Amino acid sequence: MNLQERIRIEPDGSVTAFSGKIEFGQGIRTAFAQLVANELDVPVERVRVVMGDTGQVPFDFGTFGSHSVEQEAPALRRAAAFARHVLIDRAATRLGIPATRLDARDGVVADGDGTGLGYGDLVLDAPLKGEVPEDVALLPPARWRHIGQPLARVEARDIVTGRARYTADIRLDGMARGAIARPPARGARATRVDDRAARAMPGVVAVVHDGDVVGVVAERDEQARAAADALDIDWETPRREERATQVVPLREDGGTDAALASAKLVLSATYTLPSIANASIGPSAAVVDVRPDGATVYAGTHRPFGLRDAVAGRVGLPQESVRVMPQMSSGTYGRSSAPDVSVEAAVLSKYARRPVLLQWSRAEEFAFSPSRPEAVLEVTAGLDASGQILAWRYDEHTNVHTAAGPDPRAAAMTSGRNAVPPYVIPSAHVVLHVEPTPLRTANFRSLAAAENVFAIESFVDELAHASHQDPLAFRLRHTSDTRLRRVMERVAEASGYGKKLPERRGRGFACTRYHGTYLAQVAEVEVSPAGAVRVLHVWCVIDPGLVINPDGVRNQVEGGIQQSASWTLLEELRHREGRVATTSWDTYPIATFRDAPESIEVLVEGEASAPSTGVGEPGAVPTPAAIANALFAACGARVREVPLTRERVRKAMPTGGV
Amino acid sequence: MRLVVTVNGTNHEVDAPPSASLLSVLRDDLGLTGTRFGCGSGQCGACFVIADGRAVASCLMPARQAADRDITTIEGLAKGETLHPVQAAFIAEDAMQCGYCTSGMIVSAAALLARDAAPDEATIRDALAGNLCRCGVYGRAIRAVRRAGAP
Repeated sequence: MNLQERIRIEPDGSVTAFSGKIEFGQGIRTAFAQLVANELDVPVERVRVVMGDTGQVPFDFGTFGSHSVEQEAPALRRAAAFARHVLIDRAATRLGIPATRLDARDGVVADGDGTGLGYGDLVLDAPLKGEVPEDVALLPPARWRHIGQPLARVEARDIVTGRARYTADIRLDGMARGAIARPPARGARATRVDDRAARAMPGVVAVVHDGDVVGVVAERDEQARAAADALDIDWETPRREERATQVVPLREDGGTDAALASAKLVLSATYTLPSIANASIGPSAAVVDVRPDGATVYAGTHRPFGLRDAVAGRVGLPQESVRVMPQMSSGTYGRSSAPDVSVEAAVLSKYARRPVLLQWSRAEEFAFSPSRPEAVLEVTAGLDASGQILAWRYDEHTNVHTAAGPDPRAAAMTSGRNAVPPYVIPSAHVVLHVEPTPLRTANFRSLAAAENVFAIESFVDELAHASHQDPLAFRLRHTSDTRLRRVMERVAEASGYGKKLPERRGRGFACTRYHGTYLAQVAEVEVSPAGAVRVLHVWCVIDPGLVINPDGVRNQVEGGIQQSASWTLLEELRHREGRVATTSWDTYPIATFRDAPESIEVLVEGEASAPSTGVGEPGAVPTPAAIANALFAACGARVREVPLTRERVRKAMPTGGV
Repeated sequence: MRLVVTVNGTNHEVDAPPSASLLSVLRDDLGLTGTRFGCGSGQCGACFVIADGRAVASCLMPARQAADRDITTIEGLAKGETLHPVQAAFIAEDAMQCGYCTSGMIVSAAALLARDAAPDEATIRDALAGNLCRCGVYGRAIRAVRRAGAP
């Protein structure tokens, strides 16, 4: 790693840091600024973080898996620490004072007597550069001023005043608007486009038909949409290629069937989760300016370098001539791993010879975006006479979970994420079946972990009840990992686990280990006699290793819990004949202010000696099971199918409803 | 079609198609992009503005209907560098993640506080029920509005 790729000291003494990661509201711009400010001992406001601009930052594969802090924090910290050493060395030479007598504080390298030079003065002749050594000495904790301090988002003032500029807010000279003509069924191709009526409409700049992109460019958004609607198109739906199911063994200890046969108690259950939408509040948008010698792409994306290559390939430009400048984006929770909207805007721009802003409609966003696939989880376990798990058999049936498609090398860690339980089990047989689907499925927060943990943590609850054990004690007796045990015990304490509750209320427990982050949750719900479930309180203890911004962690985890509660109680993307049938907020409702729990209490208790790990996704992972387990505790209804609708709950009630 | 709209206390003359919504005039003719496009059908709240004291969906309001109303957008809430109490409270509670829905939420909250200076939690939930947030900052936003409304 070269210092100049990561950190630049500006002549005014401010610091610019470079990262290939992307800010979507996870707060990593703030966390990165805190880290760099910490090592260089400058105020956080003096650090600017350039993120994802392919013309300025080192290559990065993409922002997903809640890996940003885990992967980037050590690199940025080391680079900033090395910059500090180089600044001190330069000052030593310039001042004729041994480096050991100098210290870098508050933007100045000085000795104890006040002789010193500002960081800016030290780079006037030559910018900092050099290979960052692996073993560069980091600032000792006693000197930390920013790591571990809660800090509001650096973008906060721009956001609350409306000054923040998202992709669709970009206005370039000569910029026109695009709209795409959508087929009646996804994957259909236009065989004939009659554009006579559209071309005569006001404001129309170009009508484009290039491969799978059919659209209009006009001066204004309304004009582009009206003209796209006026295109007369014949569509043909190609026959779909049949793909085989991929079968991926995730854990095969052997002897599972024999162990099950010898068990004192054997229980089986099947859990089902529907396809759900990422459902970003701002539909996908891109501004692309394609010129004969290169292109500039302004978009929200999880993969700026992947997007660069996709656009370059589609419009026939060399990759190096395309620059992707990531913009603030509505949270998409994985959806913008796909390059689609930028590729469409690029094709429109190429023909219009103007920069084009394309923003999908709400209906397009629901109907044509990738979504989280369905999952069916079949599980069987056997307990011995003491109530200990002897054997565990688990079959996960789902579809592709990433924009990368059916890559067999990635299946286990994407579609199979968290399918192997974190418990001590002598013999387990866990198999992933990635089945083909006519639906467009891809990345959504935590990939398959939310599905698998719903099944595992619901089933563990069922095993505990079936063997007359307390669900928390049952989990603890099967947990050897001390960090997992600790978050379980702490959330039990924090929530007052075991407290007597009023009628029709119940509490449920769930936990997970997700990419090195540990968390445990307790949900409290109230169930109406008609089967309506309301989440009243959620407690969560999270251990993500060394914590950089505790309030940033809390905000992410609260949001993950809130979003996951919405998935669990309300959401299902319905399809009919390969088309999405729920294309608006009234047919695809999500949680509103009225549904928000009375409290979501997140306790951030990171193990400071462990590396920092992610917090964006894991908060959402245990919540569905915590809610379903709370529902069972409240009224005895075990619902194994999400969403937990009134009808399902009523049917599952032991009395058959009231 | 030429029309005059009054936005944040200033009269603007614009030339927009008859089908243009107030949202499109704000964003494309006046450069006030802080009001966001979310759904185009008044179901998400991202495009809310204050029209004659009420929070309304600017995507559903034809620009010509806006011509005889007094419109305030997110950009019009602060007085110079002094933030509106709701804006300051959203920062204090860190009541945002991606921030895309924040303009609409703040507009709804500002309209609420103008008619009820110290609303209780149920009133806040009802008043903001038309503002969807996918990142899930509802709890923080409720605290922020309470903070802004506190005497």
